[in-house]
Amino acid sequence: MLRIRGLVAGYEDGGRVLESIDLQVAAGESVALMGRNGMGKTTLLRAVMGLLRPVAGGVTFDGSDLTGRPPFEISNAGIAYVPQGREIFKDFTVEENLRLGLLGKTGMAARVPDAIYGRFPILAERRAQRAGTLSGGEQQQLAIARAVISRPRLLLLDEPSEGVQPSIVEAIAATVSAISREEGTSVLLVEQNLDLVLALTTRCLFIENGRVVAQSASARLADDSGLLARYLAV
Amino acid sequence: MAQALLVALDASNFMLALLLVTLGLVILFGLMNVINMAHGEMFLLGAYAVVLVQRYGGSFWLALALAPLALGVIGLVIEEVVIRHVYHRFIDTILATWGLSISLKQAVIIAFGPTAQQVHNPLPQTVEILGTLYPVYRLFIMAVAVLAAAGTFLLFYQTSLGLVARAVIANRPMAGSLGLNTRRMDRMTFAFGAALAGLAGAVMAPLMSVDPQMGVGFLIPAFLSILVGGTGTLLGTLLGTTLIAGAGTVVSSIWSQITAQIVVFALAIVVIRLFPQGLTGGSQER
Repeated sequence: MLRIRGLVAGYEDGGRVLESIDLQVAAGESVALMGRNGMGKTTLLRAVMGLLRPVAGGVTFDGSDLTGRPPFEISNAGIAYVPQGREIFKDFTVEENLRLGLLGKTGMAARVPDAIYGRFPILAERRAQRAGTLSGGEQQQLAIARAVISRPRLLLLDEPSEGVQPSIVEAIAATVSAISREEGTSVLLVEQNLDLVLALTTRCLFIENGRVVAQSASARLADDSGLLARYLAV
Repeated sequence: MAQALLVALDASNFMLALLLVTLGLVILFGLMNVINMAHGEMFLLGAYAVVLVQRYGGSFWLALALAPLALGVIGLVIEEVVIRHVYHRFIDTILATWGLSISLKQAVIIAFGPTAQQVHNPLPQTVEILGTLYPVYRLFIMAVAVLAAAGTFLLFYQTSLGLVARAVIANRPMAGSLGLNTRRMDRMTFAFGAALAGLAGAVMAPLMSVDPQMGVGFLIPAFLSILVGGTGTLLGTLLGTTLIAGAGTVVSSIWSQITAQIVVFALAIVVIRLFPQGLTGGSQER
């Protein structure tokens, strides 16, 4: 479904971060992207989302070419993005944040469906509250809810465990895997937290110096400490 | 007492017209990070739209309705032809819009000549307010401006469209990633800001000397209002225009126009020294 071929991208000043990325995510599949800091994981997600213009290579989604398209078109093609640091709208209410996940989508009602509050009950309690007053874990849930509210076919998740306490990470993992299973949403997860990778994904790619250098079944990561040592240890 | 009332009415008058010009400028700055040096010319073109319509025998009221529409279209064209190509290069936008400002001004001189044009007052009557006589047309200006400004506030804070605009202002990349059409927002905002300034120019035309320099006369106080009020909320714009227009009108009624200018600039300097982000702070999440 998502197919990235020979993708080269980097900062605006020309510094390259992605040397040549090749990867695929099948429909309904959940894939983890691991690697040390600065290896290009976040840059890759930003390039897929259209926030960075690729220098070379391309991104196709369901056969249509998304390379160089603006973010709002890529979002409308069915890809949702939960960025590192969450980037919720702090001055808006929880409900307004969720509505913003719907307002740009063609052919979708602008009302926040109750189902989303069913998946994230804490947001229902906080719906009229300013998003900036939520705890880190609640903000993360809001960012994910805002992304999945439009029922995307691919969810890009960047370090959802960052700054979130372990019990909430577990709850987030359960919710996201339920969404993925029930709605057939594919997930491309950037994460350092092994538990989350194990809970959410079936396949894991290792990225180093802007290239995908190895892959493994996620389930094997628990036993094979060699892979983790090689690509994650500092 | 009567004198004070007259000054207060005149100050509100100027403040409301200034508010219409400033609103477009501040929303555009928030949304696209563009400082539009040509915004004063939108005001100018609004006034000349009235001159043009009257020259061909149209009534003032027709001109008043047409001016914002025409400026909306002109705004769309400017956004498409100039602004969208440079908006991510901050300094270049100042240069580009300044060039645009000069071109528009010269175009007006070529079309209408450098001298002032007369627009006759459509409501020359006066009305008695608390014992003093006041021109009816000035009250009409205030009514138009209050309606337009209130409409803008409602649009911005009470509608889905306004929510989207505020989201793009708060975090443009994230808004785009949520599927919000940032391009359409840019176009609409630019057209809307130009239309508001055009409306202000048209409604003020009967009171002013309509000449090619009249845009600058509004652009500078508009910038001062933004610096004083801050760019964080439209309430800051309201506060900034009230202070700048209020101080200017009050001082010029007691002393002179020149003293008023000095006081207004001094006031702006003091406020900016004490509140570098303006009285209500800068844009959030930048």
